Amino acid sequence: MDVTIIIDSLPSLLKATLMTIFLAAISILIALVIGFFTAIIRILKVKVLNEIANTYVSLMRGTPLLVQIFVIYYGLPQIGISLDPISSGVLALSLNAGAYLSESFRASILAVDNGQMEASMSMGMTYPQALKRIILPQSLRIAIPTLSNSFIVLIKDTSLVSVITVTELLQMSSLIIAKTFEPLTIYLVAAAIYWILISFFTKLLDKLEVQSSKYLVR
Amino acid sequence: MTMIQIEHLKKAFGDNEVLKGIDLTIDKSEVVVIMGPSGSGKSTLLRCLNFLEEPTDGIIQIGEYQVHAGGKIDRHRKKVIRELRKKTGFVFQSFNLFPHKTAIENVMEGPIAIHGTKTEEARTIAEALLVKVGLGDRCDHFPAQLSGGQQQRVAIARSLALNPLVMLFDEPTSALDPELVREVLLVIKSLAEEGMTMVIVTHEMNFAKEVADRVVFMDEGIIVEQGTSKDIFLNPKEERTKQFLYKVEAVVTE
Ligand SMILES: Nc1ncnc2c1ncn2[C@@H]1O[C@H](COP(=O)(O)OP(=O)(O)O)[C@@H](O)[C@H]1O
Ligand SMILES: [Mg+2]
Repeated sequence: MDVTIIIDSLPSLLKATLMTIFLAAISILIALVIGFFTAIIRILKVKVLNEIANTYVSLMRGTPLLVQIFVIYYGLPQIGISLDPISSGVLALSLNAGAYLSESFRASILAVDNGQMEASMSMGMTYPQALKRIILPQSLRIAIPTLSNSFIVLIKDTSLVSVITVTELLQMSSLIIAKTFEPLTIYLVAAAIYWILISFFTKLLDKLEVQSSKYLVR
Repeated sequence: MTMIQIEHLKKAFGDNEVLKGIDLTIDKSEVVVIMGPSGSGKSTLLRCLNFLEEPTDGIIQIGEYQVHAGGKIDRHRKKVIRELRKKTGFVFQSFNLFPHKTAIENVMEGPIAIHGTKTEEARTIAEALLVKVGLGDRCDHFPAQLSGGQQQRVAIARSLALNPLVMLFDEPTSALDPELVREVLLVIKSLAEEGMTMVIVTHEMNFAKEVADRVVFMDEGIIVEQGTSKDIFLNPKEERTKQFLYKVEAVVTE
């Protein structure tokens, strides 16, 4: 292993890491919105939309992410929808994560004791009011562990969009290896960066979890 | 003056008819205690009054708000039901306090969410109510930090914060350790003395004797008989009432 190679390639790798973070961050935000509304639609069993939501979740969970990426990037242009690699990647990642998030949102909303909704309704709150003021703050706490897990998985999944030429961490590593012929060194450095990144977010989200559960402590 | 009027109220869960035609008129400031064996439909009756269960048939009127069962579920009906709920405090057997909010935040929730009261004003209202139920020194405790009796008193304060016309209690002390029952009953009794209209489902006979203007005995979805606590406890007319009292008293004297 040659240390100079590591030092020389580090700036490029770190820059590509920013792309990885960007992909994960923007995708998780979109996924949160998709996941939330999908969960609400499925809980309220909204006519028609419910069927669509169920199919969406089933499709996303029942097919490999890589296939979803290919369908969006290589498949959609055939029907006139051409997206650049980054948009395709973000779309695939957020649709995929959104499906998983909707499951954890749904489970966490249903996990809040029914008495909470009854107490809210019996005060004269509207359903959206009760959801926003009483149910969601509690279900969010319940959901945080699975949400953090989804985010960690999402960070790892960003590596898959390297196959459609998005220059994120893994793609950059491959590019550097093509020049240096040092696959072991460079891939290990990439792995180390992923590991540090994920450890950092894991710690951060653990803190959030502890914070949000303060009221449960006797 | 009539405060609550229930006319031929029926409620079925599928094939199981739980309320088989309840008629009950309750005056302003009247305290009605409902007793009856487990499964006789007491909770269902109370929950129908708040539309936590949708009745199958009948008419419910509380104050000026009248709702017919089985009506079209449109905006207007939902609105009337919401208004009716605002005017009825509901106290649950299991308290149902909001666990992520402190005692005072629980009590402030109604004024803020329902009446649009400003935070500071809501805090003043809530503090006074917590003092009233004897919890002035527990404002900043979370429900998990309070005893069952304290939690139930916070729940009562939370309902009172909306200035209800009527308070409904569904076995408010059944989930409590025996030594905590009294503190909750005393709060309810003080409301009775202030002239609050109340419907209370409870098995506490001594309490019923103290506060009830009327005792209603229910069994299998109908009102079997009703009268003053003396009528019901000392001279029950119906066989079912006698049997029930015999069982309850056997437990009490054990
Ligand atoms: N949500 C429900 N779904 C189906 N059956 C119910 C439901 N709630 C109550 N019941 C039934 O209605 C009957 C009366 O219940 P309830 O009103 O709770 O009685 P009580 O409060 O007098 O013990 C019981 O047989 C119970 O099983
Ligand atoms: Mg009951």
